Amino acid sequence: MAREVVAAVLLALAVLVVLTASVGVLVMRDACQKLHFVTPAALVGPFLVVLAIFVQAGFYENTGESLLALLFMVIAGPFLSHATIRAIRVRETGDWRLGEHPGQGGRAPAGEKEQ
Amino acid sequence: MVMVFVAAAIAMLIAMIPAGIVLYRGDLMSAVVGYEFVTAVVVMVLALLAQGFQRPSLFELPVVLAMLMFGGGLVFVRALERWL
Repeated sequence: MAREVVAAVLLALAVLVVLTASVGVLVMRDACQKLHFVTPAALVGPFLVVLAIFVQAGFYENTGESLLALLFMVIAGPFLSHATIRAIRVRETGDWRLGEHPGQGGRAPAGEKEQ
Repeated sequence: MVMVFVAAAIAMLIAMIPAGIVLYRGDLMSAVVGYEFVTAVVVMVLALLAQGFQRPSLFELPVVLAMLMFGGGLVFVRALERWL
């Protein structure tokens, strides 16, 4: 009985995290700000779900696969966020590197050759 | 107890609606962020349904989707960065 209560609480927390993050994705102004709200749903939520599965069913081969999925998400999440923010910056400023002037990005001034 | 996992999966599907609105109505890069969000949530939903319906073989689906989320997402954003 205690296991079931703990699993239910963990699942409720996971749903709350996902709901809050989803609203955050909706209300933030631009893609850079929205991207911050993907991380709770991609890391905290899966962690709570996997924990709830282990609490309820214990650790065996099949539930271990959910741990593998969590591992992939923990590894992939930061890489994917970095690649996404880099793509956003390249699309906005032409280059991901910091330019001389704020807001200029890495785009070389007219007539100047990029290295 | 099984119903708790199914109910959590349904609640997460409902919680995806705001991100789905961004995916449908937002600009291109916001839609990409919405896509990444939805993919991450679907991984959880698949794990919850596998546990909720007591189908151990279905635990492979979230693993595969988590792998594809990484590879597909990277290819997608690199294509957006360079060509689209």
